[in-house]
Amino acid sequence: MNRKLINWGLGIGTPLLLVAAWWAVSQNSTNTFFPPLATILERFQALWLFDHFGSDVLLSLRNLALGYALATVIGVGLGFVTALVPVVRWALDPLIHFFRGIPPVALVPIFISLIGFGIEMRLVSIILAALFPTLIATVDGIRSVDPSLKDVSAVYRLTRTEKLAQVYLPAAGPQIAAGMQVSLQVAFIVMIASEMLGASQGIGAMTLLAQQSFMTSDMWAGILLLGVIGFGANMLFELAKNKVLAWYVGSRRLAKS
Amino acid sequence: MNTTDTNPALNPAGTTDMTADSTSGNAGGATAPPRLEVTALSKTYGSGANAKCVIEDLTFTVNTGEVVCIVGPSGVGKTTLLKCLAGLQPATSGTAAIDGRTIAGPPPEMALVFQDYSRSLMPWLTVRKNVRLPLRHLHLPTQEMNQRIDTALEAVGLAHAANQYPWQLSGGMQQRVAIARALAYRPEILIMDEPFASVDAQTRFELEDLCLKIREDFGMTILVVTHDIDEAVYLSDRVVVLGSKPARVLDVIGIDLPAPRDQISTRSLPEFAEQRTTVLSMIRKPA
Amino acid sequence: MNRNLRQLLVSAGGIAAALALWQFIATGPMAGGPLPPVSATLAELAGLLADGGFWTALADTLVIALAGLAAAAVAGVVLGVLIGSFEPVRYATLAVLEFLKPIPPIVILPLVVLVFGPTTEMSWFLVFFGCVLPIIVQTVAGVHDADPVTLDTARSYGLGRTEILARVTLPSAMPFIGTAMRVSAPAALVITVVAGLLGGGPGLGRSIYQAQAGGDYPTLYAYVVVLGLLGLAFQGASQLAERRLLHWHASYREVLTP
Ligand SMILES: Nc1ncnc2c1ncn2[C@@H]1O[C@H](COP(=O)(O)OP(=O)(O)OP(=O)(O)O)[C@@H](O)[C@H]1O
Ligand SMILES: [Mg+2]
Repeated sequence: MNRKLINWGLGIGTPLLLVAAWWAVSQNSTNTFFPPLATILERFQALWLFDHFGSDVLLSLRNLALGYALATVIGVGLGFVTALVPVVRWALDPLIHFFRGIPPVALVPIFISLIGFGIEMRLVSIILAALFPTLIATVDGIRSVDPSLKDVSAVYRLTRTEKLAQVYLPAAGPQIAAGMQVSLQVAFIVMIASEMLGASQGIGAMTLLAQQSFMTSDMWAGILLLGVIGFGANMLFELAKNKVLAWYVGSRRLAKS
Repeated sequence: MNTTDTNPALNPAGTTDMTADSTSGNAGGATAPPRLEVTALSKTYGSGANAKCVIEDLTFTVNTGEVVCIVGPSGVGKTTLLKCLAGLQPATSGTAAIDGRTIAGPPPEMALVFQDYSRSLMPWLTVRKNVRLPLRHLHLPTQEMNQRIDTALEAVGLAHAANQYPWQLSGGMQQRVAIARALAYRPEILIMDEPFASVDAQTRFELEDLCLKIREDFGMTILVVTHDIDEAVYLSDRVVVLGSKPARVLDVIGIDLPAPRDQISTRSLPEFAEQRTTVLSMIRKPA
Repeated sequence: MNRNLRQLLVSAGGIAAALALWQFIATGPMAGGPLPPVSATLAELAGLLADGGFWTALADTLVIALAGLAAAAVAGVVLGVLIGSFEPVRYATLAVLEFLKPIPPIVILPLVVLVFGPTTEMSWFLVFFGCVLPIIVQTVAGVHDADPVTLDTARSYGLGRTEILARVTLPSAMPFIGTAMRVSAPAALVITVVAGLLGGGPGLGRSIYQAQAGGDYPTLYAYVVVLGLLGLAFQGASQLAERRLLHWHASYREVLTP
């Protein structure tokens, strides 16, 4: 009991202590690379909560959300078709595997060359890059659905829609979710990269611009915001996953104990 | 074959002379066509060098309203046979037919309780929803659907676990969920693969009696694979003994025990012991 | 046999159709535009292979990725074992690690470029930063996962701390570390490319940036094709290595399918 309390204290205390240490050490810093934390937070507030909230923060987040949502829908849909229709699978398999080898960020220059620096480019980059992890996971997930469950569906003559929505989708759910989590990471990375590579709007662009013009505090503020978004997006995903896949989480926990 | 028309049996053949037509199918021709008819069925898995013949030239019938048990050594091909009957595996040669119609896919009037019960339940659905899943496309009125589910769950003694997930239940409970699912579906032909293998003795007796009761109530035709000779004798009108690899019918033994059967009085009849010995000696006999 | 042949034909047909579509768009509706024809890309690819600069860039990329990965592996396992072996330390670092883990290295790229400039060290550091966290987290999980009964047994036989570490803790953490390495190896390549593309570090990433900035589209596409093949090689190699090294482990399959 006491031990537990100490552990909890450590868990919460250490990060607070680290932040406090950062604050203290950097307080009188004149090092151009490492400005005082107080200044960074000031700039954070000024930049992201006021000046650039509508023009950049919301823009980036909207691209991320929209691109990721589309990537997920397309990825799962295409994954179903690929997994269930042999001809499609045979035809697409080598292509999918080739595209999965390409670092997602390397696709951004191609889209820039094709559609320019606009918002469409950023959206398309996010969608295409984030598509593959979900697509591949969906194919794998559906291909590994327990044959017994397929037999049950056949014996009880479930309709095609029932089979897809009530058997294949939930059975492949854990794997699809794992793929979607990777897709979220990729979408986030490509969001930043597509903004850094020549866009003039967005959090990534602002952060890189600040770095290039040696406005270090602004750069730090950007890094901080991106870090918070990366962490927050992942946490939201985890929460949603644990809710949707509660049956899976529960059964795993039971199997382990 | 002289009877190809699909006319359901006029008289439930539960109590007619069963030994007469046991090995010769419906060659007698006088009675109604059998509900389920397996004719010279063979099944080979794989092809070429790694072909494996599991069933060879299997013939037997099941009449409407009959309870027939299949016994045979482990690995002989009982599950494979049931998969052929349920239209999950195509026969390599020969046919299985319902009312004279050759089975090509899962027949609508049939339900199957799988041997691998734990893997045949959807882990993401609660017990109740598992039982409900096959009923949804039957478009029953909500009230009837709910009532069927409740009755089935009560019959297997799981009403209290309706809102739990299968993985929260013991093996025997999971097995009973699978049985409840089949019962709620109300098939005309119910096929079960070692359905009572992992339940305790008390529950086992109750489920056996449940099996006989639904036959009475709904006129179901029931085919059960079991390892338990006593169970086979107690439940059956006839016992199909499979033997050797690949699987063949060694014998079909008619069980002449008075109805209604009762766990205590039936099992203590001298005839029960006799029939049991007959089946047992059939199994022990080298093929 | 027959089926395999048909599958092969369809696969080949899929690739051929994709290439044909590409060629058609590049020479038809978008002729003269930024999409180079397949033929030009392949010619450029062949040209690259004969070009010393390409091989230098490739070597740079590989060296940075592998060096960063190796350093991350060593540091990650050592730190992971330390953190995992002491309960208070594990709790103290939990929140920090959990916060940092989902943050990709591209986030700190501006800072790292500011400090190191567009250099090999910059790329290397970014790879290190990106790979070390997952390896630490997995190692901690692996150490924590060591069977308590085995640990007690080892202790009751009077094994020392280091002996327990070498005989019990590390072997039981191996599959976790293996998984982390399998995920990290392709990531190392990706991060190297990102560092080159966005931070100007040496290697294929920088080549791609230069090709795009200079409007040299066939070269751009040729580089992306090279990266695709390289990525596949990294994934294949790391999967193979993991399977080779860990096939003996009972929990290996368990860990693989989380
Ligand atoms: N899909 C399959 N492919 C190849 N061989 C199979 C397949 N399914 C079953 N077999 C083989 O067929 C044989 C019979 O298997 P089956 O499951 O039908 O036996 P069973 O009589 O039900 O055994 P048990 O009583 O142990 O359940 C076994 O040797 C098995 O290895
Ligand atoms: Mg079986």
